[in-house]
Amino acid sequence: MFEHVLSVIIFLPILAGLLLLVTPASRTIARVSGLIISLATLVLSLDLYANFSATGHLEFVEYIPWIQSLGVSYHLGIDGISLFILMAGSVLLPMVYLVFTTKEKGYYANLLIVQGAMAGAVCAADMILFYVFWEVMLLPVFFMLGLYGGPKRLPATLKITLYTIAGSLLMLAAIVYLGVSYHAQFNEWNFAISKMAQLNLTGRVAAVAFFGFMIAFAIKIPLFPFHTWLPDAYTEAPTATTFVLSAIMAKIGVYGVIRFVVPVFDEQFARFAILLAYSGVIGMMYCGLAAIAQKDFKRMLAFSSASHMGIIALGVFCMNMQALTGTIYQIVAHATSTGVLFLFAGILEDRTNTRTIDDLGGIAAKAPVFALFFAIAMLASVGLPGTSGFIGEFMIILGAIKFNTVIGVLAGTSLIIGVCYMLWMFQRVFFEKSNANSENFKDLSLVEGLTFLPVIILIIVMGIYPQPFLSKITPSVALQFSQNPPVIAQTVTTNALLPELTIEQK
Amino acid sequence: MTNDLMLLLPLIIIGAGAILLMLTSAFEKLNNEVTAYGSAIIFAVAFLVQLSACISGNAVIFSEAFNGILVVSNFSKAAGLIILACGFFTTLSSQTYFKQNNFCTPEYYSLTVFAASGMLLLTMAQELITVFIALEIMSLAIYILVGYDRKNVISTEAVLKYLILGAFAGAFFTMGTAFIYGATASTKFIKISQFIASHGFSQSPAIIGGSFFILVAFLFKAAAFPFHAWVIDVYEGASAPITGYMATALKAAIFTVFANFLVLDGTLQAGWIKYLFYIAVFTMFVGNLIAIGQQSLKRMLAASGIVHTGYLLIALVAVDSNAFTGSVIAYYLAAYAAGTLGIFAALSYLGGAGEKRKNFDDFKGLAKARPYSAAAISIFLLSMAGIPPTAGFMGKFYIITSAIEAGQIALAVLGIISSIISMWYYLRLIINMYFYEAEEQFNESVPSQSAPICTFVLVICVFAISLYPIAI
Repeated sequence: MFEHVLSVIIFLPILAGLLLLVTPASRTIARVSGLIISLATLVLSLDLYANFSATGHLEFVEYIPWIQSLGVSYHLGIDGISLFILMAGSVLLPMVYLVFTTKEKGYYANLLIVQGAMAGAVCAADMILFYVFWEVMLLPVFFMLGLYGGPKRLPATLKITLYTIAGSLLMLAAIVYLGVSYHAQFNEWNFAISKMAQLNLTGRVAAVAFFGFMIAFAIKIPLFPFHTWLPDAYTEAPTATTFVLSAIMAKIGVYGVIRFVVPVFDEQFARFAILLAYSGVIGMMYCGLAAIAQKDFKRMLAFSSASHMGIIALGVFCMNMQALTGTIYQIVAHATSTGVLFLFAGILEDRTNTRTIDDLGGIAAKAPVFALFFAIAMLASVGLPGTSGFIGEFMIILGAIKFNTVIGVLAGTSLIIGVCYMLWMFQRVFFEKSNANSENFKDLSLVEGLTFLPVIILIIVMGIYPQPFLSKITPSVALQFSQNPPVIAQTVTTNALLPELTIEQK
Repeated sequence: MTNDLMLLLPLIIIGAGAILLMLTSAFEKLNNEVTAYGSAIIFAVAFLVQLSACISGNAVIFSEAFNGILVVSNFSKAAGLIILACGFFTTLSSQTYFKQNNFCTPEYYSLTVFAASGMLLLTMAQELITVFIALEIMSLAIYILVGYDRKNVISTEAVLKYLILGAFAGAFFTMGTAFIYGATASTKFIKISQFIASHGFSQSPAIIGGSFFILVAFLFKAAAFPFHAWVIDVYEGASAPITGYMATALKAAIFTVFANFLVLDGTLQAGWIKYLFYIAVFTMFVGNLIAIGQQSLKRMLAASGIVHTGYLLIALVAVDSNAFTGSVIAYYLAAYAAGTLGIFAALSYLGGAGEKRKNFDDFKGLAKARPYSAAAISIFLLSMAGIPPTAGFMGKFYIITSAIEAGQIALAVLGIISSIISMWYYLRLIINMYFYEAEEQFNESVPSQSAPICTFVLVICVFAISLYPIAI
């Protein structure tokens, strides 16, 4: 449409949010302007999606030098991997303004800022720029959680903030290390992400830098054993924040692994992939089992989300095309299904004033539309064939079996756990006898129903006809694996730990 | 000669202005209010002159004055700009501060300007005696300013502590000068550097001892471990604007001369670097340990000032004595100054009469009552913690880059760990301001607008500095 469309997608919400914060706008004005801005962003993103030509390389590039002596620049661009995370944010976030109509001004303003910052992190093609947006992303979450969260919000806020900042500061050291290494090896300063793949990193410091990145992303995803902030933060956060955290921000952690760790630290990654894959599988099973035991449905969804993030991350660690494509697909599928589930949980909590599963029952009879939508999102989340969740998980498990049979089998079984906790929760909340809490439960209003309808349709469309989406993902994924074939191939032959490692080349 | 005078024009303006203010206050010609604005104008004029020299003077990188006793480099110009800006904001915040506190006389502003003249001289000095003179001009003025509230016990204790320990540091410095003069027969940096280059650093005990004593004096003034103990009490005893002034302008001056001295010669720097490495690490972690336990905001900021000294020492360890530009140090000083001065400017008008609000708990719920002030303080704290997109982040980025570039990866990682720890006490104030209900109303009217305006301008500075690119 016009030249700086990415910048507009990033800075329009940020500026609008800041403007709302400094002006004494009323909450209605805040909500309406938030809705307008996020819909405008949605229109721009749809336009972007339509014009995206799936070359595999960065498109819609914007480049302005910033710190020339260090090669740091304002450099934006998207490829098939980042496009889908950007789209997930743009499509899902307008729903919040339509569903939750009575929140405070700061709630909507922070939501706008976090939307812009997440878009920035996904679009950034320069490491320093990425880091700036990565940190800015956290600040609105900090304030939303601390200001509008549940009764035990303060410890949860501190936990997530300190955890995330510790991770990202270590990442900063790793980023700088990459930039300095580039200077040492090519005698030129550069912080562009795409250039870093040319680096030849060996030795102990490279391994430390690898873990600097990996821990930062593992905290954000969150990957076992860095998941301990998640249950508290997801449970105590206001619904919109939980929604943002689970639907998009966690995905940016996975995106970081794909964008930084896989191409740059190919050797270290190949060395530690089996370890990471096990940590993904363990997290998946552990969080799944923990979800079964939860009494609070929001907390249950939090564990379920963590469990699914384990399988999404596993797709990256398997290092083959099926799994990686499946991961990107599953990122969108999980964003839509889990995101919507958290919004439903918010509605449920608002209308019944409880989060305890046992206090509820018989809602299906009172609110059939709500129950239907919930069921579709839930089935997508557990990966029923015909919904979006199936395609992604299927591809990931396929890739995982190719990578390592044990991991593939374990990943497959953990899906069964997912079915257990989801269906059991659904049975207790929506069927059985109704009680005092659910007696007067109102069904979704027309506006709410129409808000959720597109996403519910998207879930089904993505499950039945995935090809248009996959065709945009595949070129970038293929490029990801063609960048450094000699090094990876060499690792396979020299690394006795990974006999089954297979590398695909196009 | 004209060239000499042109190079020194900002210093001359500041010196003459200080004397003028001293005279007018001696004859009681001007009241506090007018003196405050007068000193602010002097700082502003000197700042603009310095700025024009910075913009136009890039052709000549090293310009000497008075036979090489003073050298004006880009580094000293940048440090001068920081000092003058600090002075400007300090006087304006003091104006508001003294609407609520009543121990002010016009001499206060005159002394602030005098201190700045010492600091400016310090940034340019390339000769040990001149450094000592500048150090004492600055310190004497600061001693008086720290103890300006004579009826306040804490303030008096602070000045006594600072004076005695500071006198020790001064004695150490002169001792070091004597040692070095004994070995090299000169006090000029350039001659000392030539002597070390021809004779070697480790060969002469007098040089080693002399530079040791001088470093001790600098480390004391910069509040580095193990000479950091005075900082907490002195910062607490001084009035809020003066604490801000000491934390920023004084540190800028000291680090400028410290860096200039350290890069005299590669072997001298190499000889001290492994000790400075440990000093930097200890300074960061000891500062953090002290800051975590504090209940008083000013004491926490004092301790966090120690931590920032540690970061600056990282930059000093990483400097390359052959191609020294000082840009990283100057940038970090500017970024740190903007954040710290901002907080103290805000404290100047939020502290209330007699600085009654001084603990973390006193600022609970500030965001509800004064949302803009709370937002400004949060931005300053985030800048000090190094969260993007603030100046503090860019400063930290440059320091880490220069450290890793110099091969000091361990130091860079320790610096990162230290800033993770420091998140706790910066966040603590933000949490107090935002996530608690107000225990009081904060409803007294702001006595004058100059400190709030300073705060606002400094918020803009925090973001503006972060966009300014430098070369490492």
